Amino acid sequence: MPDMSAIVNPQQRQFNPYAENGGTILAIAGADFTVIAGDTRQSEGYSIQTRYAPKVFHLTDRAVLAVNGFAADGNMFVKKVKQRLEWYRHAHAKDMPLRAIARLIQTMLYAQRFFPYYVYNILGGIEEDGTGAVYSFDPVGSYEREACRAAGAAQSLVQPFLDNQIYFKNQTPAQGSSHPAHLPLPDVLSIVIDSFTSATERHIEVGDGLEMYIVLAKGRTLPDAVTTLRPQELPSSAGDGERVFVLKRDLKKD
Amino acid sequence: MSIMEHNGGSVIAMAGKDCVAIASDLRLGAGAMTVALNFEKIFPVTDRIYMGLTGLATDIITLRDRFRYLVNMFTIKESRAIEPSTYAHLVSSTLYSRRFGPYFTEPVLAGLERTPSGGFKPYIAGADLIGCLNFAEDFIVAGTASDKLFGVAEGLWEPDLGPEDLFETISQTLLNAVDRDAYSGWGAIVYIITPEKVITRTLKGRMD
Repeated sequence: MPDMSAIVNPQQRQFNPYAENGGTILAIAGADFTVIAGDTRQSEGYSIQTRYAPKVFHLTDRAVLAVNGFAADGNMFVKKVKQRLEWYRHAHAKDMPLRAIARLIQTMLYAQRFFPYYVYNILGGIEEDGTGAVYSFDPVGSYEREACRAAGAAQSLVQPFLDNQIYFKNQTPAQGSSHPAHLPLPDVLSIVIDSFTSATERHIEVGDGLEMYIVLAKGRTLPDAVTTLRPQELPSSAGDGERVFVLKRDLKKD
Repeated sequence: MSIMEHNGGSVIAMAGKDCVAIASDLRLGAGAMTVALNFEKIFPVTDRIYMGLTGLATDIITLRDRFRYLVNMFTIKESRAIEPSTYAHLVSSTLYSRRFGPYFTEPVLAGLERTPSGGFKPYIAGADLIGCLNFAEDFIVAGTASDKLFGVAEGLWEPDLGPEDLFETISQTLLNAVDRDAYSGWGAIVYIITPEKVITRTLKGRMD
């Protein structure tokens, strides 16, 4: 009889380096502006970690980045993007153009192809030709320029609503008319607020607060309907370039 | 893959002012493959009650026949049409009788309930696969596109819509929701129930 006490059962150990922290982000491009928005709830499972954790970040005078998914990865990714943009400023004495930031984000994400940042990115801002632009990314850097995009926990609730209200999907224009390619800023803000109040109503991971970043093209001013909402203007490096504003709203906390 | 999602399909009901609406897609699938685009999931129960069934197609057909039998027995015994609230509890108890081996369907009801004064009141209800009833006063959704339906309906629905506005609201909600769902779509059908008449419309939607 062999000594059985020497035999040890196999054991398995596991460490999951990722978490899912809920929340939703959204961006809509206009003709000469872009709105980038996100809620501020951060959760893990059924627990709320904080009611105020920003997911939308001001990068340059004409670029704003929203990150959603694993918050730790998101914060680290934004930190590294900001660092690369600062290096670019020191090397070239100007801000990186939006389309170049989009390509930079792709290479930074794909560099982590086999241990990805568990994050969905939406980049919004003003292109060099003065048009509003939205770029959306998957976690490993596949990206596309679009007019609007929702991502995160309530993407499935918000995206079909945007298809209908922004792209006018399933709507036929009246005889002799056509749907507008871009909506005015007050309409876009109303749709963003409606999207988030709807998502808050039906999704437990969305709520608490809403932050909307407005990036305005060079030489454009806010319409009166938006000025009355008292948006806060963020400091810009040059006085005559693109401008960034922030609008904050409360969302239900239950 | 889950049994509830095997055949695909979605149903939505909405309440309006003195009217209700119920609508569904027409797809029948087997996993990712589409088998038919004329699979109706909404059935008349009485002149004023319509029921939609989502989930496993074989159970949809079985339950449609079974509920028709149960409603016929009720009508003969009582010599009157069944009311929506009574029918909802019939559905609930029938599903719960199979608590530990359920039919894989989620029913959605839409009807007009008779009030003591002789008028009609909108009545919509939903249930899970074992018959837990959900009485909502706005809308009920079910099926593979339910999350999308929730999002769009929450954005488009408002109280006290008349029959034509309710038709537009439920149609836009359904079409835009199923266009983001691979397991639903391929045509749609809408029923608007008013005290006077029931309006049936088949919608032209994306076929991809």
